[in-house]
Amino acid sequence: MIFFDIGLTLALSICVIGIVYRVARWSGKWTSRTPHLSSGFFLWIVRAVKAVILDVLFLARSGRTSFLRWLAHSLVFFGFMGLLLFHAMDETVTATFFPFYESTLDPWQFLRNLFGAMTLVGLALMVYRRVRSTKLRLLTHFQDWAALLIIGCILLSGFLLEASKIMSPAVFDRMTDEYFVPGEVGDLTALKAYWAHEYGVVFSVEYPRDEETLELGASLDEDSCVDCHASTATAFVSRPLATALGPVAFALNTSRADQVFWYFHVIFCFIALAALPFGKFFHPVSTPINLVARQGRRDDLEEFQPSDVLRGVGMDACTRCGECSLHCSVAPAFTVLGNQNILPSEKLVSLKQFQTGEQMSQASLTAFSEGSRICTECLRCTDLCPSGINLQDLWIASKAQITKRAPSPNDLLRKKTAAQRARVFDDLCKSSSILPAVAGLADDSASYWACVQCTTCTSVCPVVAVCEDPSRDLDLLPQQIMNLLRMGLKEETLGARMVWSCTTCYKCQEHCPQNIRVADVLYELRNTVAARVRDGGASCEGNGESL
Amino acid sequence: MKYAYFPGCKIPHHLPEYGASVEAVCKALDIELVPLEFNCCGWPVRHENELASIFSAVRNLAVAEKAGLPIFTPCKCCFGNLKYAQSRLAEDEQLSIQVESLLAQDGLALPKSMNVYHMLTILDEQVGAELLHRQTANSLEGVKVACHYGCHALRPGNVTGFDDPMAPTVFERIMHAIGAEPVDWDLRLECCGYPLRGRDDTISEALMRKKLEDAASVGADVVATACTYCQLQFDKERDGLVYSDPLRKAPPAVLVSQILGIALGLDPKALGLDMNCIPWHGPGF
Repeated sequence: MIFFDIGLTLALSICVIGIVYRVARWSGKWTSRTPHLSSGFFLWIVRAVKAVILDVLFLARSGRTSFLRWLAHSLVFFGFMGLLLFHAMDETVTATFFPFYESTLDPWQFLRNLFGAMTLVGLALMVYRRVRSTKLRLLTHFQDWAALLIIGCILLSGFLLEASKIMSPAVFDRMTDEYFVPGEVGDLTALKAYWAHEYGVVFSVEYPRDEETLELGASLDEDSCVDCHASTATAFVSRPLATALGPVAFALNTSRADQVFWYFHVIFCFIALAALPFGKFFHPVSTPINLVARQGRRDDLEEFQPSDVLRGVGMDACTRCGECSLHCSVAPAFTVLGNQNILPSEKLVSLKQFQTGEQMSQASLTAFSEGSRICTECLRCTDLCPSGINLQDLWIASKAQITKRAPSPNDLLRKKTAAQRARVFDDLCKSSSILPAVAGLADDSASYWACVQCTTCTSVCPVVAVCEDPSRDLDLLPQQIMNLLRMGLKEETLGARMVWSCTTCYKCQEHCPQNIRVADVLYELRNTVAARVRDGGASCEGNGESL
Repeated sequence: MKYAYFPGCKIPHHLPEYGASVEAVCKALDIELVPLEFNCCGWPVRHENELASIFSAVRNLAVAEKAGLPIFTPCKCCFGNLKYAQSRLAEDEQLSIQVESLLAQDGLALPKSMNVYHMLTILDEQVGAELLHRQTANSLEGVKVACHYGCHALRPGNVTGFDDPMAPTVFERIMHAIGAEPVDWDLRLECCGYPLRGRDDTISEALMRKKLEDAASVGADVVATACTYCQLQFDKERDGLVYSDPLRKAPPAVLVSQILGIALGLDPKALGLDMNCIPWHGPGF
């Protein structure tokens, strides 16, 4: 038992220290909106109780997006909780409530198998769900498989342990040595015959199976065993498993497989306990807290602004189920651009790193910033999240902070002087991107052959019209940009504020007497810079301002 | 009349009153709106990458086609980008092939029919002025309405095919049908300035100011909008101005669906009128 005690102490210590560390980081490094939690205390309690019953116990939020996910999670949740409380903690929980508890009696033996089977079926459904959808498979990382694997191993080793005990003559001998006093010669043989026949013990020798012996065995069993042993038939998984292992029973019994599987079972349980504070393993703790704090809300109203700590709880409550990313409004942008930070579940990983002050490379910050910028705040992820995370608030509250660390091209040039702006994007490599960013109008001087520099585009431009001194405020005017492009001087136009202050009203294009697609071209110029920034903004030889 | 309802990204969180009023009005006018799981129209991401924008737009068209429904959108930017994507597909075969293979990843086919309508077009062509007039329970007689067109539905005219890009009339026809009095104003077709939010807030605000001052100068009671972004600019963003700013006194921006709802005698609360930041104290409520 030294092994067990040391292992438990070790796992528990890692678990407790990890939880303390994780909880301590909940407050994050937010610099925005002040929290606002309205509604009175009484109402809060009522809503919290409702959230515990509906969202925590019955996983109501999971059912909204996918019945399969709800079923899988419910099976694992109820199955595993049953095993945890009534099997793993049987001495403290079950024995307290049921003084005559014996793990080998019914209903415990039956329930253990039932809970175990439920968990295994649930896990199998979870694996199926992740494998079936291509999109979800791409979003499934190490920790997702690890969680399924560890819980799966606990269950499998548990069933193997029970099966190996059922068939083990050594375990039988240990019990009879302790609890059985044979009255006459032949009693033990009769009992063994009966147990081999009824309980599935596999002895190394064949015992007689005649009616008389079995009857004697049955009465001895009645006297000495049944008080603590229900028929193994109710172990509806382990007993058939023991039967299936029949051909190798002898090898298993002689190598004391029951002891080997016990070690496996206990070690996997310790691994799971120690892993609890890491990654998504923490969600059984953080998600219920978040669900209670959110009280069933699916929106992000101003009257319910979360505190920084609750934001931390929310970020930790992610189970990485991927529902948000499967339904994300801007997922098509991810399909094209390949930046995982566009998808909510993946952006959340970056946000957590960002807020807990972890080191992030400039490339990951740039990708994170683009993901944050592309989000349209459509609320869908927040509405769907089975863990009730207020993602909308997290996105909105973090946008300005991220831009400070990894500015968008637009932010970048606003801070520069006129001279710097002319060269601001010079040292970004020409995009090596395989994606054609644009229609290619800007690079094709034929697009401007018809331009007669009539200045119609500039004179109808509402942006030019509201500027006191357009050349000073916008660097270049629309017709000047067209002229530079006509001469193949695209690089000279990229930093001009006119390009970035275009309001996309299309008046220039509509009014152009020569049908030049002025507004479309300005879009293209912005796309060109965005592609270069996306490709890493690597420094090329040049005199410009570095990102 | 049955359409696939395309509210766009901003309505659920940023402008729920538009969603509420559109649904209420459509219900009253027997227009059935079917909610489908659309993605972003692709307009916001057009500043980043055109292919991402076009694929987003076409994916929606494919989803609608699969459901066998034409798209109904109350947002002009969504409408504009869905139309823009169509015109790009038509002119660029290479792009079509690229988008087709992207769609195939999601089990969708390149759409063929691609019917997209802005709400104003449906109200004008499918419902019609006559029916609107007959259904009007609360005539808006004497209410001077400055119709704000919104850029992305109107221009480029050869792409959107919404109305005459230089002299549109659809909005005024609808206002006229419910008894309101559309006013003529110089900056009727100018930009609201919202697309510059976050990129150049100074110019964005200047555009809004100029436009609203023009509407005030012709004595308009309300500025009617039919686009999510325009309303966000004229209502929510205007509300961010300092309290003493006289622009707050300029005509309030009211969504076309809210004005119509009032005319049809619907409950102002169901139309989300209490959610407008710059309130409209209209007739009869």
